[in-house]
Amino acid sequence: MKKLFKYSLIACLGLSMAACTDLEEDLIGDITEDIVVEGINIDGPGSGDGALTALYAELRNAGTANHGGYYSIQEITTDEMFIGAKGGDWFDGGDLIRLHQHTYTPNHPFINGTWVQTYNAIATANDNLGSGNLSEAETAQARAVRAYFYWRLLDSYGRVKLVTETNEDPPQASRQEVFEFVESELLTALGIAEVSESMDLSNSPLADGGSAYSMNRYGAMGILAKLYLNAEVYTGMPMYDKAEIAASYIIDSGQYVLCGDGCSVPNLGKRPRVDSDPETLEGYAAVFAPNNEGNPEHIFSVRYDEATGPNMNFSQMNLHYSSQFTWNFQEQPWNGYATLEEFYNSYEDGDARKENNFIVGPQLDFSGSALLDYAADDDDIQLNYTPEINELAPNSLREAGARPAKFSYKQFGRSNMDNDFPIVRLGEVYLVRAEAVARQAGNWSAAEADVNVLRARAGVAEYNGNLTEEEFLAERGREMFQETARRTDLIRFGKYNGEWWEKPSSEPFVNIFPIPQEQINAGGGLTQNPGY
Amino acid sequence: MKLNINSMTRGGLLVLALLLCNFTFAQRTITGTVTDAETGEPLIGANILVVGSSTGTITDFDGAYSLNVSENAKELEFSYTGYSSQRVEIGSQTKIDVTLSAGQQLEEVVVVGYGSQKEKEITSAVTSVSAEDFNQGPITDPSQLLQGKVAGLQVYNRGGDPNGQSVIRLRGISTVGANTEPLVVVDGIIGASLDNVDPNDIENVTVLKDGSAAAIYGSRGSSGVILVTTRSGSQSKGVEFSYNGQTAASTAFNSVPVMSADEFVAAGGTDLGSETNWIDEVTRVGISNVHSLSASGGSGNTTYRISGNYRNVDGILKNSGFEQFNGRVNLSTKAFNDKVSIDFNSSFTNRNSDFGFNEALRYGVLYNPTAPVLGADAPFPFASEQYGGFFETLGLFDSFNPVSIIEQNRNQGQRTEVTYGARVGYDITPNLELAARVANQKTTVANEEYYPTTSLFRGNATSPTRKGLAQFYDEITSFQLFEGYLTYVADVGSRSNLRVTGGYSYQQNNFESKFLSLGDFPDNSLDFGNLIQTSQDLQNAGFIQANSAVSPDEKIIAFFARANMTIDDAIFLNASVRREGSTKLGADNRWGIFPALGVGVDVNRYLDINNVDLLKVRVGYGVTGALPGPNGLSQPIRQVVNGDDGSVSTELIRAANPDLKWEEKGELNLGVEFTMGRFNATLDLYDRNIQDFILERTVDVAVFGTDRRFENAGLLTTQGAELTLGYDVVRKDNMIWNTGLILSTYKTTLEEYVVPEEQRANLGAPGQNGTNMVVIREGEEIGQIWGPVYAGVGEDGAPLLEDINGDGQVIGDQGNALNPEADFTTLGNGIPDLEFGWTNQLSFGDWSVNAFFRGALGHSLVNTFRAFYEPRISSQTSYNFVNTELAEPGLTSAQFSSLYVEEADFFKLDNLTISRRFSFEKGSAIRGLTVSLTGQNLFVLTNYTGTDPEPSLVDYGSSDNGGVVDFSNPDVLSPGIDRRYSYFASRTFTLGVNLNF
Repeated sequence: MKKLFKYSLIACLGLSMAACTDLEEDLIGDITEDIVVEGINIDGPGSGDGALTALYAELRNAGTANHGGYYSIQEITTDEMFIGAKGGDWFDGGDLIRLHQHTYTPNHPFINGTWVQTYNAIATANDNLGSGNLSEAETAQARAVRAYFYWRLLDSYGRVKLVTETNEDPPQASRQEVFEFVESELLTALGIAEVSESMDLSNSPLADGGSAYSMNRYGAMGILAKLYLNAEVYTGMPMYDKAEIAASYIIDSGQYVLCGDGCSVPNLGKRPRVDSDPETLEGYAAVFAPNNEGNPEHIFSVRYDEATGPNMNFSQMNLHYSSQFTWNFQEQPWNGYATLEEFYNSYEDGDARKENNFIVGPQLDFSGSALLDYAADDDDIQLNYTPEINELAPNSLREAGARPAKFSYKQFGRSNMDNDFPIVRLGEVYLVRAEAVARQAGNWSAAEADVNVLRARAGVAEYNGNLTEEEFLAERGREMFQETARRTDLIRFGKYNGEWWEKPSSEPFVNIFPIPQEQINAGGGLTQNPGY
Repeated sequence: MKLNINSMTRGGLLVLALLLCNFTFAQRTITGTVTDAETGEPLIGANILVVGSSTGTITDFDGAYSLNVSENAKELEFSYTGYSSQRVEIGSQTKIDVTLSAGQQLEEVVVVGYGSQKEKEITSAVTSVSAEDFNQGPITDPSQLLQGKVAGLQVYNRGGDPNGQSVIRLRGISTVGANTEPLVVVDGIIGASLDNVDPNDIENVTVLKDGSAAAIYGSRGSSGVILVTTRSGSQSKGVEFSYNGQTAASTAFNSVPVMSADEFVAAGGTDLGSETNWIDEVTRVGISNVHSLSASGGSGNTTYRISGNYRNVDGILKNSGFEQFNGRVNLSTKAFNDKVSIDFNSSFTNRNSDFGFNEALRYGVLYNPTAPVLGADAPFPFASEQYGGFFETLGLFDSFNPVSIIEQNRNQGQRTEVTYGARVGYDITPNLELAARVANQKTTVANEEYYPTTSLFRGNATSPTRKGLAQFYDEITSFQLFEGYLTYVADVGSRSNLRVTGGYSYQQNNFESKFLSLGDFPDNSLDFGNLIQTSQDLQNAGFIQANSAVSPDEKIIAFFARANMTIDDAIFLNASVRREGSTKLGADNRWGIFPALGVGVDVNRYLDINNVDLLKVRVGYGVTGALPGPNGLSQPIRQVVNGDDGSVSTELIRAANPDLKWEEKGELNLGVEFTMGRFNATLDLYDRNIQDFILERTVDVAVFGTDRRFENAGLLTTQGAELTLGYDVVRKDNMIWNTGLILSTYKTTLEEYVVPEEQRANLGAPGQNGTNMVVIREGEEIGQIWGPVYAGVGEDGAPLLEDINGDGQVIGDQGNALNPEADFTTLGNGIPDLEFGWTNQLSFGDWSVNAFFRGALGHSLVNTFRAFYEPRISSQTSYNFVNTELAEPGLTSAQFSSLYVEEADFFKLDNLTISRRFSFEKGSAIRGLTVSLTGQNLFVLTNYTGTDPEPSLVDYGSSDNGGVVDFSNPDVLSPGIDRRYSYFASRTFTLGVNLNF
């Protein structure tokens, strides 16, 4: 064989050159073309779309619930969350303080990360849509999911390129154009020309309900409702009437119900020897629990799974290192994100959401003994999360700040959590309608009916003619904590540039993030947003 | 270990015996003197050899010699470096006096690729180093033989990790995205593994430094070429044996200064009641043994050499080291009236490595000095059994008991390499030779890690459910090489000649790898790394990691030609061209052309300056390429995404670039060679331009569907100078002293790049992410460390930083480093301004001393240990504090600044060897014996407070909390970062014996 090899080479050296100059590269250890394997249809219409598997996975990859991307820039720029610099730990080049104090620049790595992750998701949608393999229903889903990602870009960056095909390079669109694109894509997917009282969705290729993991009519309508609620910010033109109609369509469909009394799941975080840990999680807590899949309030959700659906890392991001021994986590937490004291105190005692959304006080380990922090920087060695916080930097105490726990933790949890993350849920749809109605009426008490639905579930007193704009924003904050809504809300209410703890007032231009410098440098002709 | 001590003792006794005894065996004795023909001064150390044998001696301090020769010896050869040698018939003489003439250059022949050339005829920057000039002591990797010996060649093996790979650079970086290490050619086999060559088998190493020399290797020549020639047999009577043995002891040269237990408690550290010196706990005296035995000889037309080499090296870190066996057979023969010549080389290496855990040194530095080693000694109840009996500071980030790391875990590998090649030459006419070379190499790597259920470090011992981890990595790389070429030598007069070579080269490379990681083992009763079927991960989704990679039919195909011409024995012309293609590039750009031209003139032949023996001026220009690392650069790459319902789809992770083309380096080299009596000097000046370098860069994610793509991304230029000086300081009386100095300097500028400026080299966790310490800018020198200037301690314990731009506000957080209003400046450069090596060889009688000094000036290092652990952070009181003379005790928060950037100029006595040579009379069973004692790293003069001031030319990124460093992907644009995972430098003493019989 070897001789043959040798002789054939000698032969071709003297004779034909074709064979011994062949340099075709045929990759056998890499994938260069798309592969689609259809799944088994188990959850009703919309599930089992092999062609869209990668696209739905992009919801997890796009920084929805991990550190360094979309979640981070939506949360720690607001008055509900921060990351303190603990004597050098979590200083991270000042990047986190800059988000908190609204002094971010075009070189901020998280702002670039968000851009890249979001466009990667859009590219996967374009790739699927351009493949020619999608059914009409799959095409509608892909366009609606892509519209959702463009909504993130619209909300965060304003002026972006509206790319709809791979290798297409359109000019940077205005914020108005991006708004119109998102609206028209969602309307197309819904099979309607506009949102109105008389709209008829019977021609929509999207499913009429079904799994929250697939984009159905109510998911698309919910995103549209949120788009219209913020239309005045995006375009200067209020569209609260359409927001109300879209929200009402979902509520009135009867497909979804609030998870209230009797809506419960087993508490996977329970420590057998700690009596104060409940056996079950009920109502509000069940909506966000590790075993929240199929919750009746979920309309469109991101499927997270510890083994097959990675990238929700809240346990590591929020908890102190030692808290590993409360939940027997596989991986050590990082002691990063915590809640501002004022925000924590905006909840009244007895509010079920306060109970669920935060971890405060002295901590116990799995067996119920005191949880120790060998590197405590106060005199008490027991880990004790305090709502009060000494300072943002440079020596923020390691135990300071109530810890976010809305998406609750389970025993033996892995670094990738199991909790599904709702992008559209019925609770928020009530808030959208409440606000849309109040803004149209010019009267915040018009919002009370819908808000009181949520107040009742939380076990706190209903409003009765006393709801104000400020109180509505606070109430919305309490309900929507940790769901990446706060920045958009503060901007819509004109509060984003105000002062809060360790944060001076900021200029209005920061309401739109800068176009990342790395993307401008990439040479596609992007121009910077004003002010940066 | 028992065996090692025994063999060391035995070696010592043998040495003693030889020192005490004096062997003399008389036969016919010839005496005489050797003197300089012009001055009449005696030549000390001149070689006298009986022609056709290996019997010989050297002259003493008076130039006198005495040699016992056999009755049938016919001729003596007298030779001396720098003098022309002379043969004298013995006849019936018993006294032979000889005068040798200096100044006539020895016609030394240098291997240059697809042939060899007389040294004088070379028109490019080529340096040849022979075995006697190699660095001594136990060498773990052959490139260390050359450290400091070749001007412009940088060889740095930071720290003393016996399994660490040296970083090798010729004239700085030659590419950004591709391989920056020189091409290695062993006995004509392109791409042969240097790891498969034992240092003891190397006869000579030639380094092709500039573009005009390397262009004959085309697309792989940009980073320079190292040509290794292994020893071969010689015609002699019977078999000659040679034994080389070394026993060495290494100790940690220094450590990162940290607090003692008392200092730590006084500084507010958490007192856990014990006193432990963690570095002492994890380091040791590393004992190494080397044994090499070779047999060589020849008869008729056939010569051979067979060698076996055994190396057993223990590092200073406990449980780190390797054991290696290497065997080599070199065979040459001629047939058919000497018209056909056959050369065969084969080599085999098997190396079993204990990679150990460098992390033990890192955590040894920062672990609480009052913590006990064992859990039983904890000041509070501690579940020792869960952690294998060891204490652990649970709940701390990035903190692991160093002793537990090395005692409980296993990190091993086995590498097997086989290389063989044959060259067949056929003289078609006396002036025309057809040659063919076939070669094959296969390297198999099998690495294995095992972390038992009781190891906190990577073994997850805190988990009640999933403990223990086993990882396996297997890799097979191989290539087949075929080359055929014709060489024609023309007779064009007595003082001129012309030689033309042309041929074809075909090489196919293959690669495959597999990785498997799984855990959750039953308990710690067995080594379940050998019983992976017990892993409970087999019942749990998502924990097992497995992947594989296979290369396509990766080929490099080339046609090449070269012409060498000499006119009037003083004007030399060399021209070559290689047209080469690779599967790795875009479909339309697979072929590249790499030409070279060189001219040299022996000016002194026409000027005839008094006392000047040589004055040669040469200039060469050549174009070379750099072959990018991975396959599929021009193609789109996708990855699989799995759904929970069994569905599968893919997403794009790298965009295609069908236009991707060769990166090219054009290099102009001007050289002057000068010899005058005992003094010689070579000066090389060069200017290189690397254009279209291939880089995986950020592209517009909106357009390409992913933000990564390989592109031809910029232009890099390097200007440099290299000076080599040699002088025979003393050459009379009873002493010889030769000294040599090499100096090199270069500057690399990034002329064009994909972005105007960019930050690199993140400092890392805890708390210093978003802290990129290196900046690169278009039009500026590479390697700049960029940060704020430290100005003192503020009231809150945070560092005060200088208001550099004087605008009244200080912006010094690293995330703002590219903000034009921020207060940043260049804090140093990771690349030295000047590197030098200084050799000294002294001989007196049978004794000789080699002293080799080495140094570098002008480079800085970021001392990352200090950057993280020197500030007295209140929440870090359960870690030890780094405590150098630069410590600022008032500082309580860590933030990167000039405080942690240190100038790392150094001057060291790298190698000192004292040896005694014993002569034996003809007929003795022993032909020669040399005993030597070598010390490495004997002293270092530096102000750097870290463990090793040697330049760090590449960066491998940060790692934390037991994470694994990826050594496969070095960042060549981020020099100057001394990371926390460095092995500590060591000092080594070696006793060596060389016995010929």
